[in-house]
Amino acid sequence: MADRGDVLQGTLDMLVLKALQLEPMHGWGITERIEQWSESVLQLGQGTLYPALYRLERQGLIRSEWKVTENNRRARYYSLTREGRRHFSDELAQWQRMSRAVNLVLEASLKG
Amino acid sequence: MRHLTDAWQWMRSMMRRPSRERGLDEELQFHIDQQTEKYVRAGLSPADARRQAMLRFGGIVRVQEETRDQIRPALLDDSIRDVRFGARILWRAPGFTIAALATLAIGIGATAAIFSVTRTVLLEPLPYREPGRVVGIWETTQDGVTQNVIAPANFAEWRERSRTLEHLGMVGPAGLAAIVGGEPERLKGLQCSFDVFQALGVHPVIGRTYTYEEDYGGKDGVIILGHEYWQARLGGRPDVIGTALATEGGPRTILGVMPAGFTVAGQKADFFIPFAQTVEQLRAYSGRGSSYAVARLRDGVSFDQAATEMRTIFSQLEHDVPERNARRKVLVIPIQEQMVGDVRPGLLALMGAVGLVLLVSCVNVASLLLARSAAREREFGMRTAFGARRVRLVRQLLTESLVLATAGGLAGLLVAALCHRGLLALVGDRIPVPRIEQLRLDLPIVLFTMAVALATGLLFGVVPALVTTKQPNDTLRDGGRHSGSRRLHQVLRTLVVSEVAISLVLLAGAGLLLRSLIKLQNVDPGFRAGGVLTAEVDLPTTSYDTAHAEVAFHAALTRIAALPGVVSTAGASCQLVPYACIGTSFWRVDRAKPGSGERPSCQVRPVTPGFFRTMGIAQIAGRDFSEVDTADSTPVIVVSEELVRQQFPGENPLGRRLRVGFNHVSGREDVEWTIVGVVGNVRSSLDGPVRQTVFVPRSQRPGTGMTLFVRTAQDPDLLTRSVLDVVHHMESQAPVETRTLDTVVGNTIAQPRALSILVAVFGVVGLALAAIGVYGVMSYSVRERTQEIGVRIALGATGQSVVHLIVGQALRLVFVGVALGLGAAMLLARSLESLLYGVEPLDPWTFAGTALLLLTIATAAAYIPARRGIRMAPVDALRVN
Repeated sequence: MADRGDVLQGTLDMLVLKALQLEPMHGWGITERIEQWSESVLQLGQGTLYPALYRLERQGLIRSEWKVTENNRRARYYSLTREGRRHFSDELAQWQRMSRAVNLVLEASLKG
Repeated sequence: MRHLTDAWQWMRSMMRRPSRERGLDEELQFHIDQQTEKYVRAGLSPADARRQAMLRFGGIVRVQEETRDQIRPALLDDSIRDVRFGARILWRAPGFTIAALATLAIGIGATAAIFSVTRTVLLEPLPYREPGRVVGIWETTQDGVTQNVIAPANFAEWRERSRTLEHLGMVGPAGLAAIVGGEPERLKGLQCSFDVFQALGVHPVIGRTYTYEEDYGGKDGVIILGHEYWQARLGGRPDVIGTALATEGGPRTILGVMPAGFTVAGQKADFFIPFAQTVEQLRAYSGRGSSYAVARLRDGVSFDQAATEMRTIFSQLEHDVPERNARRKVLVIPIQEQMVGDVRPGLLALMGAVGLVLLVSCVNVASLLLARSAAREREFGMRTAFGARRVRLVRQLLTESLVLATAGGLAGLLVAALCHRGLLALVGDRIPVPRIEQLRLDLPIVLFTMAVALATGLLFGVVPALVTTKQPNDTLRDGGRHSGSRRLHQVLRTLVVSEVAISLVLLAGAGLLLRSLIKLQNVDPGFRAGGVLTAEVDLPTTSYDTAHAEVAFHAALTRIAALPGVVSTAGASCQLVPYACIGTSFWRVDRAKPGSGERPSCQVRPVTPGFFRTMGIAQIAGRDFSEVDTADSTPVIVVSEELVRQQFPGENPLGRRLRVGFNHVSGREDVEWTIVGVVGNVRSSLDGPVRQTVFVPRSQRPGTGMTLFVRTAQDPDLLTRSVLDVVHHMESQAPVETRTLDTVVGNTIAQPRALSILVAVFGVVGLALAAIGVYGVMSYSVRERTQEIGVRIALGATGQSVVHLIVGQALRLVFVGVALGLGAAMLLARSLESLLYGVEPLDPWTFAGTALLLLTIATAAAYIPARRGIRMAPVDALRVN
């Protein structure tokens, strides 16, 4: 099943970390949050989300715990670790530099 | 830090796997439920909402799998995936897989088969108590025979004087005619002193061995049976112990049965009997019997100490009794060495040969893998671009090789089992390879085979893996056709060169052995072996004395001569090969008697009249024996050309007289023998020297045993039945063994023949593998160059010239391989020296022939793909891109 607006390779991790920056969240919440922020352009495929979550946890960037939701259901909540926060700010800075550079190039060619 | 976290996570995941995976299910379920609720809120019916949510989620199983991959330890998981992937890849390329598997199965199987023989024969300890402390004792002769039989009188002295050895006993061959179940039967066994069983430290499975009194007491009435004979002929009944076995020398009490597979230094025996001679009788024995000695090192004594002491004792004996011991020495040898000394060089040569076959197979599979992996360079380039590390790719390729090798190993076991059968059939009981019948495919061999297979897999896998994955980014950049190819071609060329070189070494070795075999087969034995049936007959000594026996044999020979199809017939005391009948010394009566140790030695062969004619031995001067030569007439002999050349140079030997060291029919040894004839030389072994020979009439040196020689114009095997009838008509209780003389002679060179055949087979296999290798590499190279070929042809080159170009390039590689191989073969040929007969290790004909053969085969192997290349070009050539 093709996802509308495939998340670029490598940026998924960053998006997940960003979503968790404010508060701990469960997997579905993360997809909702990203969809919402991206004005429905980015719809995460679960086939990518959960492997990514487990991978990030294995890398020690996030941790997880079971909590009870407002509707009294058990769900696994993910939150950033200290290392995850540092990693995110590094990645963010890098991304901003890159995207600015790409934008500069693209705009230059538009003018030309 | 990261690694620690990884390790911690890994451990946690290992321990908490079940709960964690249950957690995953719950987590995914939660996700779907949330999504469903969202759709319901948006206005869908619950059923539709659920369906949409599931659809959106996309394959719950897939998500579970992929997520779990993140939980499980990556290394193990990757390996399993690699194995599956490797197996799939092999499955999809059956042509390649079959070629590679066949190559590996041959290489690995042959190695396993030969290794198991080596292990059984050379490496496994003998089934004796502390086998390393058992020694054999032999004498050497003045003409350089290193393992000669000992003088019983010397043995009596050793037994008394040695302080370093215990349980000194004699061992010698023994034949016995026995009546088992009313049938006469000829048994082959050993005479053993009673100490021999203690020296070896082996006890009978039932009953007992004989005592000092039953041996040195001088009365001969006991027997011990071999397990196999006891099983086969006496039904394995334990109640035969204590009963009497009727033998030619009278009844013998069966004392015991030795364990299954028991041999004395590899000599199988139906029975064991004592020498039954007192120490005084041994001391009085003037000549040499047919025995050697075994003994055990005393506790705390080293082998060297024992050997030194024995040498000291022997030099005293040489000084004290020069007529017996002048210019002789004693040889003490570990029993294992005595057993395998003869077969070791051959086995090691075979090990070397299979090792080379295995190497060629490795190189071959490596080049197959490499040529094939060229097609996969893009795949690897792609994967690298997507972030796969090189280590990961190398690991995957190695895993594929190991999958291949494991399959090859399993197939190799099958080949090894077949090889075993072939080997046993080839060796049969013609070659005395000790313990060959114990050959088996057991766990150690299976483990060895699989270890060889895995080592092979790494060996042939690592080069292609490293070459293929090197800088794959370049590959991607230019479409994967050219950049990798150059490096690949270099490696392929190296592989071709080494393959050619290795198979040349193999072929050169095989060539040397084959040439040596041909020389051996072409040795003129001095008689015509074809068309002769031989029958070894023993008359029971209980009912025949030698005079009666002569009469009976004469009658039998006359009857056989009258059989239809028989050209002529004669008898002799012994087979012509492989042993000298009686070995002794002699001297000219008209010269002063030479001192002890100075006398020339000869073999003495008692024969009936007509023997020379029947055997096709040339009568050079004088006459044959005839009916006028009787026990009472003048003692006469016929001598060989060699004896005349050495003793009567330039003289007429006829009428001269010799003293020869054996007893006349009268029992006297001081008889003067008159030379009445000269015949051509007869060899008693094909690879031995021509010895001086004395023929004596049977009537003047009779016996109760005779070998009948029957010459026929037809297939000698057809006469077997009627000859047996005649013999049994003469004496129904006489055991007979019939064989064609060709078989008798052939058996004497069975070992070099088996070795040459095996190495030649390995050589041909190596050559075939090398040819396949050259063919494969050239095919690949032509495919790669289709475009170039097309352009050349389009520009006016003839097909012929293009073929020349391609074959020429292949030949350059082959030349390099041949040159390297010749160098290596010359270095290694020396190690074959002891196995060669009449051929120099650096025989130029063999080397030139081998090189030529390889060049021819390699040219053919390169020519076929080249032809195909120009046929394909230019039509398809420009289409390749």
